[in-house]
Amino acid sequence: MSGVADLLTAALAREIADANIRVFAVTSPATVAAALAARALGAPNLAIATGFTALDGSPLPSVTLGEAGLFEAGAALRDDPFDTFVLLARGRAGVAVAPAQLDRRGQTNLSGVGPPGRPKVALPGARGLPDNNVSPSRVWFMLAGHSGRQLVERVDVVCGAAPPPSTVRRLLTPAGCFELGETGWYPRWVTSQAPELVAAAPGLGIELTGQEPVVDEPDPVALAAVRRADPEDVRLIEFAAGAQAAALYEAAAVREASAAGARRGEQRATAGPVSS
Amino acid sequence: MYGTLGTRYHFNQSFGRRGERAISLPNISLEQLAAEVSNGATVGLGGAGLQRKPMAAARALARAGRRDLKLVSFLGSLDVELLVAAGCVGELHSAGVSLDGAGLAPHYRAARQGQTLTFVEWSEGTLLCALQATARGVPSLPTWMALDTDLPALNPHLREAQDPFTGARVMQVRALALDVAILHAPAVDAHGNVYVEGDLAIDGTLARAAQRVYVCHEGVVAADPRRAVLSRIWVDALVPAPRGAWPTGCHSEYGPDLPAVSRWASEGADGDLQLLTPNGSAR
Repeated sequence: MSGVADLLTAALAREIADANIRVFAVTSPATVAAALAARALGAPNLAIATGFTALDGSPLPSVTLGEAGLFEAGAALRDDPFDTFVLLARGRAGVAVAPAQLDRRGQTNLSGVGPPGRPKVALPGARGLPDNNVSPSRVWFMLAGHSGRQLVERVDVVCGAAPPPSTVRRLLTPAGCFELGETGWYPRWVTSQAPELVAAAPGLGIELTGQEPVVDEPDPVALAAVRRADPEDVRLIEFAAGAQAAALYEAAAVREASAAGARRGEQRATAGPVSS
Repeated sequence: MYGTLGTRYHFNQSFGRRGERAISLPNISLEQLAAEVSNGATVGLGGAGLQRKPMAAARALARAGRRDLKLVSFLGSLDVELLVAAGCVGELHSAGVSLDGAGLAPHYRAARQGQTLTFVEWSEGTLLCALQATARGVPSLPTWMALDTDLPALNPHLREAQDPFTGARVMQVRALALDVAILHAPAVDAHGNVYVEGDLAIDGTLARAAQRVYVCHEGVVAADPRRAVLSRIWVDALVPAPRGAWPTGCHSEYGPDLPAVSRWASEGADGDLQLLTPNGSAR
């Protein structure tokens, strides 16, 4: 598990560092780790957006990501929430998301399984998928599995539209890194598991020639940067499943609550007496 | 203690410091707030995910037996769960509802699968546009967002149109007006300005799109008004509500109670609202 988590997080860190974007919007602990690592991999000025109004911070990889106070450095600037969408529209932002379904045209779904409006399984909702997929900004899809359930010929509900032709959309899975081209997804590099995994998810239409570069180990420099950014290995949670994921989540929650308590204690000690 | 926001006043303290005047905004109770929200009202709730959800206010609405609310929760969590479980919601507007790392939201999920309420599905950007349209006083606003998706079929506020100047395809987003916005903040000052550390989410836009704005808060501080994130001019009443975001977090004061959130994820499907009620309190 840590193999896939490290391989993909390190790969995403390199992708972000090389993407020439101004702002990366974090959506999960692994994306925080990748964005922080990208700063050390050639994008020192990358701004990181947390939530809708916190910009240019250095959030810690955490399960309480929405708590924008989990910053080790940098400002949590208050700004117009619409800025997120301005940055997307101008092609200056990057975001990595994990839709419940992704299809061969690059359409995404996080609304539900089943017909639109009549879900057999209701999922969280469209979130920002209708906004980021059609934008000229960079979007990565990073998935913990390469399964036929998630990678389909056509999504049940189109939340994210097929991306405009000139945009770059890449998919990172345990089978490797794939890019959306004019005729569908094609491999940039693959893992040695790819033949088996790709065959089990035929809906996406990926064809392997056997000539693709094989990458099974993370780039050591990128991995070192990821580990420095995420020393508590919070990124592993989103690549785990079932009881193991629950146990990792619980341990992280306890650790973060205790760290937050300690931070508040420090603030009390330095902020002076309470007026009463 | 309010992090670095300022020095806390006691709730009972008079605001007699030189240069400061007492709060001129009405200071009301959670019960009064609930009484001022009528059945069928369109109610926007602040915060996002597991941060700064006005849970004490939601509990008050449930206790008051509100029905057929049109609930607007940009990114919902236990706020939506509580009000749906209590039978208060007739129509739900949201870009997503979940319990973050703790998993899916059981009542939201059941309501959509059983179609027991009207769910109006938004994207984050289009919901922001709909509220901005109201704030700007226009019936709709055009955007590039949500084009070529299934959202217009799931949301009567979205309709593809042609830009009158260029003929370009645009998504026209109909204004969404709130009767009431209810926010939860860690602190307000003696004038009623609102202070939040970390992410404000879309609370500022909700306030500007609402007829009446209630700010629940953890306490009153002496703070630099230049650091306020929402001016008192957008606020109609203040509602003292210590720990009123629980079990969600109120950053700088307390984080989300993740064990309580997980408990709701695993046991909340039965609708036992005690799971969302603080220990030993009717609140």
